[in-house]
Amino acid sequence: MSAPICIRCVLPHAPPDIHLDAEGVCNICRNFEAEELRAAADDRELLETDFLKILDKHRGKQEYDCLCMLSGGKDSTAALYYVKEKYKLNPLVFTFNQGFVPEEHLASAQKTIDKLKVDWIYFQTPFMKDMFRKVVQTRSKVVICGICSLWYMLKTYEIAAQFNVPIIISGWTKGQTTGSSRSVLSKCACDQNPDEFKAMTAATKEFMEKHVKTDPKYRDFPMSMADVMHTAKTKYNSKAVVLSPHWFVPGGPEEYVPVIQEKLGWDYPERSYPKKSTNCDLNFVASKLAVKNFGYSHYHIEMSNMIRLGVVTREEALEHLKMDYGEEVLGDILAKLDSRGMV
Amino acid sequence: MYVLGLSCYYHDSCAVLLKDGVVVAAAQEERFNRDKYSPVFPIQAVNYCFQEAGITIYDVDEVAFYEKMFLKFERTMLSHLSGFPFTLKNFVQTLPLWLKERLAVPYYVEEELRFKKPLWFVKHHLSHAASSYFCSPFPRAAFLTVDGVGEYACASYGVAEGASLKVQKELHYPHSLGLLYSIVTAFLGYRVFSGEGKVMALAELGKPTFEEAFRRVVHVREDGSFRLDLDYFAFNRGEKMHNRRFEELFGPPRAEDSELTERHADIACSLQRLTEDILLKMARHVHRATGERALCLAGGVFLNVTANSRLRNETPFEDIFIQPSSGDAGAALGAAAYVSHTILGAPRAPPLRSCALGGSYTNRQIEVVLRNKRRKYRQLAPGARTAEVADRLAAGQVVGWFQGRMEFGPRALGNRSILAHPGLPEMKDRINKVIKRREPYRPFAASVLREHVEEWFEGVGDSPFMLEVGRLRAAQSGRIPAVTHDNQTTRIQTLTRGENGPYYDVVEAFRARTGLPMVLNTSFNEDEPIVRTPAEALRCFEETGIDCLVMEDLLVER
Repeated sequence: MSAPICIRCVLPHAPPDIHLDAEGVCNICRNFEAEELRAAADDRELLETDFLKILDKHRGKQEYDCLCMLSGGKDSTAALYYVKEKYKLNPLVFTFNQGFVPEEHLASAQKTIDKLKVDWIYFQTPFMKDMFRKVVQTRSKVVICGICSLWYMLKTYEIAAQFNVPIIISGWTKGQTTGSSRSVLSKCACDQNPDEFKAMTAATKEFMEKHVKTDPKYRDFPMSMADVMHTAKTKYNSKAVVLSPHWFVPGGPEEYVPVIQEKLGWDYPERSYPKKSTNCDLNFVASKLAVKNFGYSHYHIEMSNMIRLGVVTREEALEHLKMDYGEEVLGDILAKLDSRGMV
Repeated sequence: MYVLGLSCYYHDSCAVLLKDGVVVAAAQEERFNRDKYSPVFPIQAVNYCFQEAGITIYDVDEVAFYEKMFLKFERTMLSHLSGFPFTLKNFVQTLPLWLKERLAVPYYVEEELRFKKPLWFVKHHLSHAASSYFCSPFPRAAFLTVDGVGEYACASYGVAEGASLKVQKELHYPHSLGLLYSIVTAFLGYRVFSGEGKVMALAELGKPTFEEAFRRVVHVREDGSFRLDLDYFAFNRGEKMHNRRFEELFGPPRAEDSELTERHADIACSLQRLTEDILLKMARHVHRATGERALCLAGGVFLNVTANSRLRNETPFEDIFIQPSSGDAGAALGAAAYVSHTILGAPRAPPLRSCALGGSYTNRQIEVVLRNKRRKYRQLAPGARTAEVADRLAAGQVVGWFQGRMEFGPRALGNRSILAHPGLPEMKDRINKVIKRREPYRPFAASVLREHVEEWFEGVGDSPFMLEVGRLRAAQSGRIPAVTHDNQTTRIQTLTRGENGPYYDVVEAFRARTGLPMVLNTSFNEDEPIVRTPAEALRCFEETGIDCLVMEDLLVER
């Protein structure tokens, strides 16, 4: 029997980090509620003018005003579009492909780059394939996206440093940040470790210690997001901050998807998990394993945040998170990792 | 060409965005930060305006501020000097405000908005005048502005034609009708800014037995200009604005929340009579001095609906336009309009026909709120909403009505309103007691189908912004007790389908069921700024005795 799910969000009862109270509400929702009440007086929503204030400090001081991470998905495409057309910055664009980004997404990114006429760095590497394979074959609990993000964030900081870019623009959604609006401004959103990520973080640590640290190939691989940021500061001397315009403008995809569809000819890809997303193929495997290991995936966490922030309904989130794609999808991806049938 | 208008640092801080002279968005900061009459820099309102227009500050050509801050500072300093040493305490208290905020407007505009060009500072009363004239349908008109105080002026009049406004006369501080009204508001135990409407309502319960006392305090001339006898006041000198001599004339001040007596109502009534007398004299003088046939009115004093109706009916002007947001929020609009039309030469825009200049919400956005709050709701089929609401109103239910863009200004005009049956005798008490939770004497307004106004009321024509009253015709006496004041008048909003189709249709459907071509309309709030978002509307619904809530096509029941 599956664990009960919070009646407000989509997180399951998964003690010790996530637990439901007698009313069926999880501790993450309760904490959010308390934080909302506590912060109501002095912690207003982030505003677009707050974002512009930050951008303006750095505008025109370097060859590029910012580095935009572009996957080709709706969120990063919209972020890039805003930065170039609305905020009138000169961005350098960076796309990272660890070998599992579908051609369809890359074509979409290429189309966006062509339309916006911006400089683009495309970085493709098979470097992590062995690590991904190891995750599946050792049946580790680590979430693949977690370790992948360590690598692409390190690369992003490295490029930002190389071009003296002070701001990294991501397409992270409102659900991909936690804490109060003030803490978002004062810390990078990835520099946080809330309760709902604790189990995943522990699994990452365990995997890194056991399989990465000991592998000479991955000698320089960061062990954690804190490690990424430390390396960025010490090795690359990068003081870049990561921000997403989506945190500062009201509404969600229903606001910006029509804009990029009209202006850039963007469209949803044929397949991606969760529904209505544009994530790389590894997400099918990563999410499936995360749900198996923890009862929820990182997308459950993101969607739950979006529910709390009023961007989506709980029903919509549950629908998007359904894993009702065919087994052959999973099989194709696992085959690339020589691990067919192992999930 | 975008011009952003701003007002802030006193009360009613606000942002207004004009594109080529046409208002595209306007909102008061209080609706966002939920602090009534909020004085802070209107950063959230500015963000809303930009989002509504789909622009950022980089697209804005000019920023206009609603007064000249250094002139105002000069007047304040002179006032402190003239009252020294009694004004020392006030001086010490207010100086930091001046230095940190009121004189630092350009700094905050650059710091908060990253706008690096010089700002336009438009005189306060000129801003008021422009707010009314440029929103009016008149190609030329006289204007009259009356409020608390701007830089020096507390009232002004002049002539506007094309894109030009020429001030002919000003009445200077401290001789201020707005200030007097506020002083008496405080004397009667109400809060300044929010209590003036309560005094106006209280006036209807009293007799003008203090008229003679007011004549000793205010010396009114035939042209409407007047002088306050400063022997009765204590401006800037302490916590009270009146003094012992004032109390000798009017008795002791009323403490907040203490019992209201006949004396209090009589003072309010006498003040109201004086106000009407002064305004009528002023308007008649403006007519004589300018020879214009049309008059534009603005300034906080013109939220006084009884006086407004008398101005329409008892002055020689053929037509009158009153800026619906005639307080300082409207002055932000006026400053932006002045810069757009007079300075930058934008052509006159169509007259303002609707105050729906704020944000709106889609069914989906409302649905997200309702679902995540685990509220049951029903989606009404297209076309069914009107009948559903009319049925419920006819059955005596109180309906929370949330549709379209939020209104700009102090009145809810059918987009963020609480609606009810005006013909039920108990309705006024019920709404005052269980929904608004306020004084039982406070009256309610009616939204009346325009084509039925004459059949029901005397002395009112078009009043789309709920700024005038009409006298109930004898033939209709007793039919609408919930919106009829003791003196048989009703504050009226006239409705046409062109101005607000969905709301008009509801009232028309209500008329078909009850024979009454109107509904009771009061602002959607309970001792807070009018609701802006679906979540705020839902909270107000849950915390008060509203029977059902209709947000766009979604119906929430108890």
